[in-house]
Amino acid sequence: MNGAHFVVQALKEQNVTQVFGYPGGAIMPLYDALYDGGVDHLLCRHEQGAAMAAIGYARSTGKVGVCIATSGPGATNLITGLADALLDSIPVIAITGQVPTHLIGTDAFQEVDVLGLSLACTKHSFMVQTAEELGSVIEQAFEIATTGRPGPVLIDIPKDIQVGPSVTHALAKLIKTENTLNSAAIDQAKNMISLSQKPLIYVGGGVGMASAVNELRNLIAATEIPSVCTLKAIGCIKHDSPYFMGMVGMHGSKASNLAIQECDLLIAIGARFDDRVTGKLDEFAPNAKVIHLDVDAAEIDKLRQVTLSMTDDLKQVLPAITIKPNIEQWQQHVAAMKVEHECRYDHPGEPIFAPALLRQLAQTMPADTVICSDVGQHQMWVAQHMFVDRPENHISSSGLGTMGFGVPAAVGAQVARPNDTVIAVSGDGSFMMNVQELGTIKRRKLPVKILLIDNQRLGMVRQWQKLFFNGRYSETILTDNPDFVTLASAFDIPGETIVAKSQIDQALQRLLNSDGPYLLHVSISEEENVWPLVPPGAPNDRMMESIE
Amino acid sequence: MINALTVEAKNSPEFLERLLRVCRHRGFTIQSINAEVNNTLQTTQINLTVFSERDITLLTKQIEKVVGVIEITLLQQPENIKVSA
Repeated sequence: MNGAHFVVQALKEQNVTQVFGYPGGAIMPLYDALYDGGVDHLLCRHEQGAAMAAIGYARSTGKVGVCIATSGPGATNLITGLADALLDSIPVIAITGQVPTHLIGTDAFQEVDVLGLSLACTKHSFMVQTAEELGSVIEQAFEIATTGRPGPVLIDIPKDIQVGPSVTHALAKLIKTENTLNSAAIDQAKNMISLSQKPLIYVGGGVGMASAVNELRNLIAATEIPSVCTLKAIGCIKHDSPYFMGMVGMHGSKASNLAIQECDLLIAIGARFDDRVTGKLDEFAPNAKVIHLDVDAAEIDKLRQVTLSMTDDLKQVLPAITIKPNIEQWQQHVAAMKVEHECRYDHPGEPIFAPALLRQLAQTMPADTVICSDVGQHQMWVAQHMFVDRPENHISSSGLGTMGFGVPAAVGAQVARPNDTVIAVSGDGSFMMNVQELGTIKRRKLPVKILLIDNQRLGMVRQWQKLFFNGRYSETILTDNPDFVTLASAFDIPGETIVAKSQIDQALQRLLNSDGPYLLHVSISEEENVWPLVPPGAPNDRMMESIE
Repeated sequence: MINALTVEAKNSPEFLERLLRVCRHRGFTIQSINAEVNNTLQTTQINLTVFSERDITLLTKQIEKVVGVIEITLLQQPENIKVSA
């Protein structure tokens, strides 16, 4: 058994059944081992697509996603995907080939210092120095990727180690330690909750990553404390949960942003006070004491000074702090705000109104549909107007905001969950960023549905140019877009274009009922904007709700 | 504000690079640094002083997350160190 076969064997021992990647010179031994190694490999058409497919696979299942690339350009192409996984705390293992050990540092063909490149965009990275350490490195990589705050880990393997003899070794048994909750902190949290008159639960992506969705829902059901969530936490709270006001932040609901500003106790759970959430930090939740529950100690007091913090496992903490406060007046107030500021879907004329279209899609799509959104206006419309009841079913590049994310993420999700409907919601700008992944869909005959919302603009940037740059539309007009339906047809993906409200019902049926992949190209007005919007530097209660 | 700290970590070729990146990225400029390898224990000890307007705990918490770190000791603020422009 050579080093490459050892890697495949080690992946299988980590219960890896699926990997995504692209072959090349320095990783050829590993591809040879994969040829009949018993781990399914999906060829993506760009390494960035492979990294994002691995993210989609991981996010839709809770498993580790694995991507593979060669040295040099293969590795550099992975970098954006790894940064995306780092910002969203996704467990991904990236394996890269490296030039042979004796050529490292000689500027050899396709040699790049991948370890150096990885430092800023991974949770950790390894360059394997000897065959002896290969097994240990792979084991550590999976451990680091999945424990604590999850994240991407890169393993760079020189070619000579892949082709050289492997050295078997007894893997160290990892000792799991059980944490004991700090009872004084639990008592203090319960005391703060019971004394609070206006408590609010602010849920972040850490809840889903900790598999603590049930514990969160039990807490919310038992306490009836009003709640809001971040973009990454969509799905953690059932959309029809009483006193749940939706997403908070720059494009959050008006009710959730107002509630944040009014609350006297903010219970932040697996959330990190991101600038897209807080707006002007000094004026975020100005009247609130804060309880911060997060597994990452570095997030405590990083941006917002808190009264109480705990870094224990949320599955243990959330049941322990459950206590029902007497907050009837506050509940009535937030319920009234929710009704007063509900989204409206009446829209004049025949042109398609994207929020209404997405709402209708959410109402008609099968249960357990996975939505993978790209980045831009359509991403915010998905977050605002579609309802999703599992965090694994809403996959969106939240922290890095990576255009081109949606289609490859959908590829990964569809491979992971072949029996569920997977819909990539994209925009005309984002779609072109990783359009080559249509080739991956064709190759595996994946039944990914693509809803392409086309305003012939880089819509979010255009919106900001309109609002904050005097309407100077610098490089955001895309009237020279290709014919997207023809483009899809080149990959054997059927599709259609709709331009009017009267076409929506039947088009959505064709999209959802298609056996294979389908592209629904939706033409909308370039003048549509995402509302509300907290302008840069403003507190969250100073939302803009229209151009005026 | 200047702070002095000692970081002890498992020895690896790239550990110093990781540490320096974290310091720079989190907004701390290095005023002095000394690194020494203990070949017996296979550890590295790095003594450094850093300058930043930010609270030093923002740095120490991030360093604690770097894989391989064994211990961080925050030393008393050296009063005699001044930052030159």
